[in-house]
Amino acid sequence: MFLVSLLLASIAVFAFMSVLPGDPAQVALGVQADPEAVAQMRARFGTDRPLVVQYLDWVGGLPTGDFGTSYVTQAVIGPQIVDRFLVTLWLVATGMVIAVVIAVPVGVVAAVRHREPSGALLSGASQVGIAIPNFLAGMLLIAVFAVHWRVFPAGGWTPPVDDPQRFLRGLVLPAVSLGLVQAAVLARYVRSAVLDVLRQDFIRTARAKGLGPYRALVRHGMRNAAIPVVTVLGLQLATLLIGAVVVERVFVIPGLGSLLLDGVANRDLLLVQGVVMVLVVAVLLVNYLVDLLYVVIDPRLRRGQ
Amino acid sequence: MDRPFSRVTALATAVLLSLAAACGAGQTADPQGGNGADGGEQEGTELTVGFAAEPANLDFTTTDGAAIPEALLVNVYEGLVKINQDGEIVPLLAESWEISDDRTVYDFRLREGVQFTNGEPFTAEDVKFSIERVQSDDWTVSLKAAMDVVESVEAVDDHHARVTLSEPSNRWLFQMTTRIGAMFSREGVDDLANEPIGTGPYMLDDWVRGDRIVLERNPDYWGDAPGIQTVTFRYFNDASALTNAMLSGGVDVIGTVQEPETLEQFESDEYQVIQGTTNGEVVLSFNNGREPLSDVRVRQAIKHAIDHEAVLETAWAGRGELIGSMVPPHDPWYEDLTGVYDHDPDRARELLEEADATDLQLAFRIPNLPYAVSSAQVVQSQLEEVGIRTKLDVLEFPARWLEVVFTNHNYDMSIIAHVEPRDIVTFGDPDYYWQYDNPEVQQMLDEADSAQEGRRDELMRDVARTIAEDAAADWLFLLPNLIVAAPDVDGLPTNRVGEAFDLTELTRG
Amino acid sequence: MTRRLNANLIVGAALVGLVVALALVSFVWTPYEPTRINAGVRLAGYSSDHLLGTDRFGRDVLSQIMVGARTTLFVGIVAVGVAGFAGTPLGVMAGMAHSRWVSEGIMRANDLLLAFPALLLAIMFGAVFGASTLTAMVAIGIATIPTFARIARSRTLQVMKTEYVLAARAAGRTRVAIAVRHVLPNIAALLIVQASVSFAIAVLAEAALSFLGFGTAPPTPSWGRMLQEAQGLLRIAPRLTLWPGLGIAIAVLGFNLLGDGLRDYLDPQLEDRR
Repeated sequence: MFLVSLLLASIAVFAFMSVLPGDPAQVALGVQADPEAVAQMRARFGTDRPLVVQYLDWVGGLPTGDFGTSYVTQAVIGPQIVDRFLVTLWLVATGMVIAVVIAVPVGVVAAVRHREPSGALLSGASQVGIAIPNFLAGMLLIAVFAVHWRVFPAGGWTPPVDDPQRFLRGLVLPAVSLGLVQAAVLARYVRSAVLDVLRQDFIRTARAKGLGPYRALVRHGMRNAAIPVVTVLGLQLATLLIGAVVVERVFVIPGLGSLLLDGVANRDLLLVQGVVMVLVVAVLLVNYLVDLLYVVIDPRLRRGQ
Repeated sequence: MDRPFSRVTALATAVLLSLAAACGAGQTADPQGGNGADGGEQEGTELTVGFAAEPANLDFTTTDGAAIPEALLVNVYEGLVKINQDGEIVPLLAESWEISDDRTVYDFRLREGVQFTNGEPFTAEDVKFSIERVQSDDWTVSLKAAMDVVESVEAVDDHHARVTLSEPSNRWLFQMTTRIGAMFSREGVDDLANEPIGTGPYMLDDWVRGDRIVLERNPDYWGDAPGIQTVTFRYFNDASALTNAMLSGGVDVIGTVQEPETLEQFESDEYQVIQGTTNGEVVLSFNNGREPLSDVRVRQAIKHAIDHEAVLETAWAGRGELIGSMVPPHDPWYEDLTGVYDHDPDRARELLEEADATDLQLAFRIPNLPYAVSSAQVVQSQLEEVGIRTKLDVLEFPARWLEVVFTNHNYDMSIIAHVEPRDIVTFGDPDYYWQYDNPEVQQMLDEADSAQEGRRDELMRDVARTIAEDAAADWLFLLPNLIVAAPDVDGLPTNRVGEAFDLTELTRG
Repeated sequence: MTRRLNANLIVGAALVGLVVALALVSFVWTPYEPTRINAGVRLAGYSSDHLLGTDRFGRDVLSQIMVGARTTLFVGIVAVGVAGFAGTPLGVMAGMAHSRWVSEGIMRANDLLLAFPALLLAIMFGAVFGASTLTAMVAIGIATIPTFARIARSRTLQVMKTEYVLAARAAGRTRVAIAVRHVLPNIAALLIVQASVSFAIAVLAEAALSFLGFGTAPPTPSWGRMLQEAQGLLRIAPRLTLWPGLGIAIAVLGFNLLGDGLRDYLDPQLEDRR
């Protein structure tokens, strides 16, 4: 089933790309190219072959990780995609960690105190947090922490192996931009999930026995509350892989989103196809992983049917 | 009970392995021969310069775009000759040269003791190789057409190269200062996209695609060592990110300012702002080949309707110069033609009435570049005041703009900066996208190419004046060379006269 | 089933109302022509002439904000419209289908569509059809179809098990009749709530796309593009970031609160919180 989805996705992607107006050969040669040179270039790229042939050629290479060679950069595409994907992954993963670290306590407290003003306040704060675009958060963070107080760099990327300290410093602001907004979204789900759990019978029993609300929760409820939260986390991770592109722009981080945008602008069709396929696979994989995690978290599922 | 746990273990292992692999993230492309200077970095010998457009690869013989020669020409690759800040041709790899009386034979005396970074010596054979390579299929960039006039190249001896042209051409020697004149090693063209091998004062040290190019001083350089040991070109596809990097110390220099209205925050003792000229004419192009702009009166009306000072003020914060034709002030045949069509909306309306064109609706198709988007809105608003309505289409650049406007000529007006030096010759090509076909101009351009210098300048001035008076296009303004730098940096190029960002004169401290 | 007005509903409706009011008024009157360039008053501050100042072209900010409200609403309407009118029938069909193939087929196609994030589709559509508000929003709408389809389907399945429906089926009513009389009214509440939430998401998406250059093209005013233009001027004229940013935040907040409020008001059984 997974494979069928992949195959269908690959056809959809290829079909879409072939409809894009704009000739890669023309773009590669730029202004002042004459028709003869363009024709030659097309032959070099192989874009003058029938579409079915081009599709089979491309799809055939995928299982072995051969994404072809870029029209524009003349570099092999595969390693490039992997590299940029990892960069985005670092960014998104750190953002999600920050989000979870903020959202869980906030959501739990908001749920436990949902009848009190403090709970309502936290809930309101998370609502406001969602309403702010993450690139706006990024712009503001740069203005304050990079330009005004030169605590963090305004952007750029250092590979972790090159200089771990610079890498970490450069990761803070963009990850926080992503993380804060995600935290707001997540907090609401946490609150809702915890509220549901609080109403369950076994919690009432625990409370009746005299346990405080937090301890009752931790002992008995967290697993159940975790399920919807984990689902949301999975969905968010999948969307963030491309959603981080705006933050990548603001902070000049060479991630997957930027690679995609450049590829589209240059009509680097093979590159774009490759990036989209990788994204699609990533999303499908994440969903699969989330299903796996369920089994770990939910004791009922674990005990076998 | 076992299954979920082993699944979890598998999961955990996978995560740990990926983490280990991910630590190398962001390191694509091979560094050439190791990192860093010997003996560690010294204070004041490092510089980071920020730019906008990133080079797609390192091979300007097959890839168009300004970013590659910007970094590599003059710094890594050298030609026989070079252009100085005043626009004059000066010796570089050629110590001197003699031109025959009929001006078709050039004898170049080459500098001795020059070697490429692959260890091979630079000789006349390399000159022959490089020039013939331009004419071959290995070069695909259209600028190569300028080498068509070369009939033969001869390596008379190791340090004497003779180039014979099929006819006298003033243009040729000038073009040898651009990328087509770069000297390549016979043994050094295997992987130009990733490994540039030249004779220049710098060599490639590292290249992180999408982020930066690092150049290192070439220890075997034939001339004076450049002032800065390591120069890093950093690329920002977002103009504000570049500005922020400057403000937060991420770069020491902004090589080309993309947002001039932000310059006021750099007017302080902490920064220096440099403004000079470039070859970048921002042209409001007219499609002379179809109605209604085929009627000269309509074109003239448009030119009268535009208040160029307001356009410059609004679109580029007043930075830049007004020009009346396709000639920047540093070209030898420059003449101030800004007065040919002054801002006269009444005259514009008169002309439109004469031409029976009082109800125009023009297709205004522009690329999505900042200067174009800004200028277009001002122009649109000014044209409305004289009764010309325009439909603004912002096209993705490069792909869609090239297709729609440049190749298919499907437009009435457009705006784009033409940055090649001495590109007034495009008005002599009737097939160029502005479809301007004036046999008189074509003839004058031909004559100017083979004429003696004095006559050449005269003819070129005539060409400039003719296309201005004929309203073949409108020249909104000349893009300024705008640089912001830390105060201790010296030797920055005031004028951008060629494609290169010249690092050779830079010093710090 | 008590229907109670609650804080979320009131505040949400008020904020949304504010945005709608701005948009409606803008059709009748704005202080200036929002696209009128006036080089003489570039980057002016607050004044009696220009209540919210001017931008780098000398255009009046208040006028742009008002007309920008139109774009914001347009954005939401198209995206939610596409998602709702395409996704709902699909979901209902999947929920009512007798044959497993139809039901599974629709859901598989749904999952496939889900694998293409909204931003990605919008970028690609923008490249093919040219960047404009409409193409971006249609793309986002298409990417939101799975959400509506899923909700429609799962609720339809529940409704199909109720007594009313079982009776109708026993009585031999056609599926279309059942769908119209029983299913749609019962899923409407949930869909309206989702519409509100998706509206908010669409507004944020347009802002992001305009920032990247794939959204509303100039010179049409759009809050997202105003933010993009104001970026470099953050230190010189922070007010140019403040007002469109505030506009977006109010719109998104309003629709989110409205969605929550509607959920509590229309069908408290959906999520018992009090």
